[in-house]
Amino acid sequence: MKAEELIIALAQDVPPVAPNWLGRRLVAGLMLGGGGTLALVGMGLGVRPDLMIAMHGPAFWIKGIYTASLGVGALAVTARLARPDPGRMGRVWMLALPVLGLATIGLGQMIMAPRAQWLSMWLGHSARVCSALVVLLAVPIFGGLLWSFRWLAPTRLRAAGAMAGFCAGAWSATLYCLHCPEVSAIFVLAWYTLGIVVAAGLGALVGPRLLRW
Amino acid sequence: MIAGLAGDAHAHARLLRDLLPVLRRFFRRRMAGRDDEIEDLVQEVLIAVHSRRATWDPARPFTAWLFAIARYKMIDHFRQHRSHCSIEDVQDILAVEGYVEALSARADMGRLLAMIPAKQAQAIRATRIEGLTTAEAAARAGIGEADVKVSVHRGLKALARRVKDSIQ
Repeated sequence: MKAEELIIALAQDVPPVAPNWLGRRLVAGLMLGGGGTLALVGMGLGVRPDLMIAMHGPAFWIKGIYTASLGVGALAVTARLARPDPGRMGRVWMLALPVLGLATIGLGQMIMAPRAQWLSMWLGHSARVCSALVVLLAVPIFGGLLWSFRWLAPTRLRAAGAMAGFCAGAWSATLYCLHCPEVSAIFVLAWYTLGIVVAAGLGALVGPRLLRW
Repeated sequence: MIAGLAGDAHAHARLLRDLLPVLRRFFRRRMAGRDDEIEDLVQEVLIAVHSRRATWDPARPFTAWLFAIARYKMIDHFRQHRSHCSIEDVQDILAVEGYVEALSARADMGRLLAMIPAKQAQAIRATRIEGLTTAEAAARAGIGEADVKVSVHRGLKALARRVKDSIQ
């Protein structure tokens, strides 16, 4: 086909583009996948029975705010990587802030508790499955983000995949909070974060293949 | 591009048409002699510019976005065809790169100048881009020489601020 014919064909269909379209597209994918994850948590794992009581305590909110703030930050970075020229990635270090905050809280809890309890604070009751569940629950969200990416234009595919995986992991961990009864900050710091990082690693692994356009 | 984003099909077609020579030059410089492949790539980039136009952030330079797409498509093409981009003449490429960029910077320049008051933009255009003297610019605009100088000064300051903001 000649270039001129192509241009005429393309110019047939020029719907206006809403401002902030890219962000909305990503949030739509996130919600779509989040719906799937929420259904898995609700029907597969079951919401913790004492959720209403837990919502009055700080532990539930510490976990939720930790994972959600990672999720918001990761979404912002993902949105930049979804553009062909992402610009300077100087603010990525801000993702470390929630981690530092939670580490501080965890340290405080450890100082207050007797040394004999440290191991049980770290391992809780579900250390074996926690990270794996976070990774598994991230799959629908990652799928939702991939769907959004069909209209986007990342040029650093591995980085974009990693960040989408990180974002999916952080939001899956947020939803996992509805099920998980653990209360100690160092448990969350260790196992939630591990799950999120593994999700990011898997995202980096599949990014170059799945995000090509 | 801005009109295209708003749904103006004519402006959009004009933009795509204007991009043709720019893109052909871009690819020819990097893969000279493979005209069929170049034409394919040019068309692929046009399609991407069209279908993924929402990924351009109007706060950032249009040309940076365009060349990022072109570069991505070229690398993807090489990866698929397992061929190599010669780096022997990389120095030549870097030397002329500035020229291409300067040409296409004009498109961005117009956009930047539209962001500052018309009087300042006119003064800058006359003295800095067209190369008139302050006196000639003043005579043409029908204002005093001092006025031209002040306008240029203020306008450049405002532009520098905008550019700084858009880089951050």
